[in-house]
Amino acid sequence: MVLQITDAYVQYGASVMAVQGCTLHVDEGELVSLIGQNGAGKSTLVKAVMGMVPLHRGSVTFDGAPVTHRSFSTVRNRISYVPEDRGVFASLSVGENLRLGGITRKDKRALAADIERELERFPVLAKYWSRGASLLSGGEQQQLAIARGLLLNPRLLLLDEPTLGLAPIIVDLIFDVVAQLRADGMTILLVEQNAVRSLEISDRSYVLQAPGRVLGSGTPAELGAVPAVVDYLGFSPADVEVSR
Amino acid sequence: MILEFLVSAIGLGALYALLTIGVALLFGVLGLMNFAYGEILMAAAFAMYLMRDQPWPLAVVVAVALGVGVAVVSEKLAFHPLRGADPVTLMIASFAVSLAIQSVARMSFLPRAQGVSPEPFLSQRISLAGAEVSVLDLLTLGLCGSALVAVAFLMGRTSLGIQLRAAAENFQMARNLGVKPDLVIPAAFVVVGVLAAISAVVLVARQGAVSAEMGLQPMLIGVVGAVLGGMTSLKGAALGGFLLGAATTLLEAVLPTDLIAFRDAVLFSALIVVLVVRPQGLLSGAKVRVS
Repeated sequence: MVLQITDAYVQYGASVMAVQGCTLHVDEGELVSLIGQNGAGKSTLVKAVMGMVPLHRGSVTFDGAPVTHRSFSTVRNRISYVPEDRGVFASLSVGENLRLGGITRKDKRALAADIERELERFPVLAKYWSRGASLLSGGEQQQLAIARGLLLNPRLLLLDEPTLGLAPIIVDLIFDVVAQLRADGMTILLVEQNAVRSLEISDRSYVLQAPGRVLGSGTPAELGAVPAVVDYLGFSPADVEVSR
Repeated sequence: MILEFLVSAIGLGALYALLTIGVALLFGVLGLMNFAYGEILMAAAFAMYLMRDQPWPLAVVVAVALGVGVAVVSEKLAFHPLRGADPVTLMIASFAVSLAIQSVARMSFLPRAQGVSPEPFLSQRISLAGAEVSVLDLLTLGLCGSALVAVAFLMGRTSLGIQLRAAAENFQMARNLGVKPDLVIPAAFVVVGVLAAISAVVLVARQGAVSAEMGLQPMLIGVVGAVLGGMTSLKGAALGGFLLGAATTLLEAVLPTDLIAFRDAVLFSALIVVLVVRPQGLLSGAKVRVS
């Protein structure tokens, strides 16, 4: 098991409970999606994994070892987190953003080859290599953020709402890339509001309902058997055609 | 006349740009509005006073070493324990550091202002393209311009520079990517120490005196220039400082003699107008587009 979150509670301020008792896991080579509407606590849960918000209660283990405040720096070198706002550095060029993605790597020759690989995967980044990241469109920035995350050669890729606000053609591109990464054996936790597309490509999914409660989890067929999930999503996950 | 004015304006602009970069760098990386910046500068200036009988290049090296030393020690003793604290706490800590260094200087080495006779060569004028240009202005331009080129190279061409720029823009994200706080924060203080020391060398040459309070005005210039250019953009901060310095020289040249005393009033009135139009500063608009 790569990631295990057990009975996690996250609280903002004195009274706002964003996540309540979430338990989930991601196995080696799995693509697991976290589905839910705005405010369901999906992004907060991912931030808790990255140590960006403290757990009020519960635990996170990564590769079997508990993630504590002390071990965050080690964990960060093995988890690539692509945040909801993409976290692209506006004052840096596309090339500089990509170089930052591999900043912790010692194998500089292999890193150069990996950068070439990402430029083939996202040709627009090669085209705009020297351009300031602030000048890229939203879709181009998302491609940059994902490519930069992949340059860490991560053990786990955390994608937070990677298709939010993007044009349909870019949404297709992003889902195709995520599906391909899964096929290549990468372990991925995908946070998405686009439930149908996520269910299509994921091995398993967790459905979160505000304020941060897991309504159900499993394969589309298993989720389709949970009435609360069907009510919440407005369709039966069992009807989704899995494309894996 | 024009060449003389240009050398003077660009030189002062470059000096002010050094001051503003120092302020903006720490603000970006640490969220720290470092009011002790002026005291780092004062410490380097004090080294120039101590070394006043030594060869000038040696005095400059010692000044840079002391500036860096004070900057790094202040980080270790005062700001390292406060990492992650809110900006107000950090700002108050920087006030404390500023007052502590100033008080120590006043009690021990600098109870009153001390004169530092300028090197004889600095008071000379040389003929350049038909104009008489002050060596002091050329030195200001040369030293500060070289420092700016070095900073531009560090920030634009080296891995450390990219990490510093990234950390200055979004520290949390830079950290998530593996940028190490224990590398970039001390590195930022070293850069600040060098910039403050070079500024101090130029200021001592221009003013011919060192005092415990001499860091106050440069620090204020650094803050104002950084706010003008944009606190979250190092390029913006440099531009803000440069424009402030160039405008100061311009006002000295064009204002009637009896109005020169009101130079700063005119300058800061114009600054208020600029900030009303662009409250985020001149270059802070380079935000990532969301869609």
